[in-house]
Amino acid sequence: MSRAAPLLPREDAREAALFFVVCALCFLAALSGLIARAAYAAADAWTSEVAGEITIRVRGPEADTQRAVDIIANTEGIASAQALTREESEELLKPWLGGAGIPAGLNLPRLIAAEGAAGAWDSVAAALKQANINATVDDHETWSADARRVTGTIGLVALSAVALLGATGIAVIAFATHATMLARRDIVELLHLSGARDDFIAGLFERRFLMLGVQAGALGALLAFATAAFILFAVRQTDEQAWLLPQLSLSLADGLILGLSPLIAGAASMFAANLTVKRSLSDMV
Amino acid sequence: MPDNDLSTDEPVLRLDRVGLSYGPKSDVLADVSLSLRPGSMTFLTGPSGSGKSTLLRLAYLALRPTAGRVSLFGVETNRLRRRDLAPLRRRIGVVFQEFRLLDHLSAYDNVALPLRITGRPEASYRQDVIDLLGWVGLGDRLEARPATLSGGEKQRVAIARAVVGKPDLLIADEPTGNVDEEMGERLYRLFRELNRRLRTTVLIATHDMALVRRAKNDVLRLAEGMVVRVPLDQREGQP
Repeated sequence: MSRAAPLLPREDAREAALFFVVCALCFLAALSGLIARAAYAAADAWTSEVAGEITIRVRGPEADTQRAVDIIANTEGIASAQALTREESEELLKPWLGGAGIPAGLNLPRLIAAEGAAGAWDSVAAALKQANINATVDDHETWSADARRVTGTIGLVALSAVALLGATGIAVIAFATHATMLARRDIVELLHLSGARDDFIAGLFERRFLMLGVQAGALGALLAFATAAFILFAVRQTDEQAWLLPQLSLSLADGLILGLSPLIAGAASMFAANLTVKRSLSDMV
Repeated sequence: MPDNDLSTDEPVLRLDRVGLSYGPKSDVLADVSLSLRPGSMTFLTGPSGSGKSTLLRLAYLALRPTAGRVSLFGVETNRLRRRDLAPLRRRIGVVFQEFRLLDHLSAYDNVALPLRITGRPEASYRQDVIDLLGWVGLGDRLEARPATLSGGEKQRVAIARAVVGKPDLLIADEPTGNVDEEMGERLYRLFRELNRRLRTTVLIATHDMALVRRAKNDVLRLAEGMVVRVPLDQREGQP
């Protein structure tokens, strides 16, 4: 003899459709979450890459460049200073001028890369000015600020997408729960008239939609990870500048996003089901 | 919270000048008063559309009256909050006119349903449910789904479900309406046995005047929104 058969019938076509919708929403939300995290991580990586570095551009005779290197290296707070060779300068210009080579006659500015404490940049500029060397000190702050602004915007858009998808998911599940309740009104009414408390009836729907949310969410998160990994892998294979792109890794943060997605989907499903069932039950005596 | 012990003189069900309307000039019940003694068995008769089912729905707390008072087991229900009605409902067994069996559950699971919602472990009531299904003549149909049962068998499952919790009040809406005369008589004997063995108060709405005449129980007649008690010598003719 069967034991404790479920009071709600097994899932029907409606729930299969809902599974697909929750899975798709969770896929998009997890993907957006990964993009947001990767964008913020990329901003950190870019800015930390250039933090503690300055580039000094020297205009003038070659002798000024070597003089500038000596002055900079002897400035307090500077750890190292080195003039870039013409080949190194050409390498830096390659993304803009292409790899065909730069005409030998083209006069390139001489660049000096220096590392040290951020507070030393003003001293470097003052020392070069005092030595009457025509040079510009670039601490990359303008570039860093632009990079932070761009990645911050990407992250914000992605987080907004996560919030919107979450709200949409709750609304969809509430709608589906309501439809299921209408379809199963005979069961709900019978339980109600038999003396079942609202929590008991709501619990039946909560458990049903919790499982649906967790399973659909897990599948959606898995697909999101696979998609993100594929996109970034493909981009890196074809683009030399791919190192500039946001990085996807299996870091703790990525794992949290992927791991929490099904749980959040399940909890949202349960919450929406509880709210919908109790509101419908409140219409009964 | 209601008191589970019924005093001997406290009516199980009492309707005091109860009215129900769905708007102006649409009274379903106008001015209904009735009282059921503990352990009594009463038939509720009346023409079709007279409001018998509505009256029963008021009694098993599916509706609230728009006028008057409904008391169950000595508790006036009008002012109770929703959540306080559930314990009262558990003391009432209802045999619905259309059975209301759950198609996806077996006969066993349908009967066990009122016990399941109380949170009791299945082991504590399994044998009771099996015995009860045997008592209504369905001991060999425990696993049968409602779709495979005849009308009479469904009705007996519905009755078993209504009485499995040993209710203080059993309400049945046209329980013999969908079965032949012989089955109707068998079902009536089930109700009578329950009434006598467990002292369950029974209220049966029926059109079956032949059954009413044979039974010689209390009879209430509902017509034009009011209830009158019908003396034994006036039970001939139309319901």
